[in-house]
Amino acid sequence: MSALRLISNRTSQSNSDYTWDYEYYEYGPVSFEGLKAHKYSIVIGFWVGLAVFVIFMFFVLTLLTKTGAPHQDNAELSEKRFRMNSFVADFGRPLESDRVFSHQMAEESQSLFHFCINEVDHMNKEKQSQKGPSLESNTHFQEVPKSSGMLEEDPRCLTKFNIPNFVNTEQNSSLGEDDLLISEPPIILENKLVMQSSHRILD
Amino acid sequence: ENISDFSVNITDCTQVVVPEEVFFTVAAAGILENLLILIAVVRNKNLHLPMYFFICSLAISDMLGSLYKTLENIFIILCKMGYLTRHGDFEKKLDDAMDSMFILSLLGSIFSLLAIAADRYITIFYALRYHNIMTLRRALVILAIIWAFCAGSSIAIALFSYEAATVIPFTVLFPLMMFFILCLYVHMFLLARSHAKKIASLPSSTAHHRTNMKGAITLTIFLGVFLCCWAPFVLHILLARFCPHNPYCACYMSIFHVNGTLIMCNAIINPMIFAFRSPELRSTFKKMFYCSR
Repeated sequence: MSALRLISNRTSQSNSDYTWDYEYYEYGPVSFEGLKAHKYSIVIGFWVGLAVFVIFMFFVLTLLTKTGAPHQDNAELSEKRFRMNSFVADFGRPLESDRVFSHQMAEESQSLFHFCINEVDHMNKEKQSQKGPSLESNTHFQEVPKSSGMLEEDPRCLTKFNIPNFVNTEQNSSLGEDDLLISEPPIILENKLVMQSSHRILD
Repeated sequence: ENISDFSVNITDCTQVVVPEEVFFTVAAAGILENLLILIAVVRNKNLHLPMYFFICSLAISDMLGSLYKTLENIFIILCKMGYLTRHGDFEKKLDDAMDSMFILSLLGSIFSLLAIAADRYITIFYALRYHNIMTLRRALVILAIIWAFCAGSSIAIALFSYEAATVIPFTVLFPLMMFFILCLYVHMFLLARSHAKKIASLPSSTAHHRTNMKGAITLTIFLGVFLCCWAPFVLHILLARFCPHNPYCACYMSIFHVNGTLIMCNAIINPMIFAFRSPELRSTFKKMFYCSR
């Protein structure tokens, strides 16, 4: 950009008679007489404004922590809480070694996982004719807490996915918003499920 | 062309010069840090995940920004020493190429931050379907589209920088993206906080407020750092386009080198707040350094 060229070459003005072709526009001499405000007023104003904005943003966020989010429905909240519980419960530090280990078995675990899901889908189609053929694995997971009676009936895979038991209500869990914002992907959740299922299948 | 005339007036704003040692140190630190992250992600198979690819994309754009500043400084020094001609065609083309590299870096940073925020959003709100939504292939396709768009835009902006039509969208894109990223993070933050409240509804929870404060601080740092490092430069571009003869604008534009140094500081800070927070990446670094000894 011509502005960059222009400004960046000014520092060499003092020593050499270095000139660029100002092919886009020229800066004439700027007159500094008769200034009403301080000459660095834009600089000061900009930085003060930026600092105020960042502090304001911080206070808004801390206020949000105190007051709460009243617009969320209870149903939506319970569904998300279910997801968050199962997602966040595996976030603790002790699972790191599990995660590293389980990621190495990722491929065969995932194939087992899909196998179980397919089995579950197959069973679902037989049992519940009102469900559409395109049953996604996640919708099955969401149905699990509601239809817990179904879990006992399916010996092969469903009993392994004891999702409600993943709820971690410990006070001292390493739950922190900054952990959530780091957001390790939920491969932990799936691989832990899969590890359990794979152990039971292989036994 | 007699720019030297305007430096005669004693009340003017002279260029604030950053010492070259500081400049090169900051640039080198930024380039090295981001290069390390790229190497770590490439070497460790556990890190071949969409999240880390987006962090790599951010590292690449930071590296490009620092590289641009370094090259520009070297270029100016070479011109001062007379090794390069002043009106040559080659120099102009080189300068155009460097300008487009810089804009590519800025656009790449913004879009990488957006991709990281969107990835985290999907992780939290679509946790169980995350692996279906964000496959590795899709992440790579998204990155390819982002970088193709950034490359095209940067070349177009560098070539047509004298027209207001390019400066305005460029400067409007910046706050728009920041606002969008802020909305995503605030939504995630609200959910995390309400979830923490549910869990902490059991008695004796004093850790509750502290973890919420940490979340607010983290979010503020994410966005505050990016704003403080890039907004000065974006304002510079606006002022250079619309009021170059105004003495106030000229005084603001005299701190151009400080703004450039801030952008390189962003390249150093970004890995700390994104990449180094991941325990897996940290352990990869430790392995890299201890194995090499």
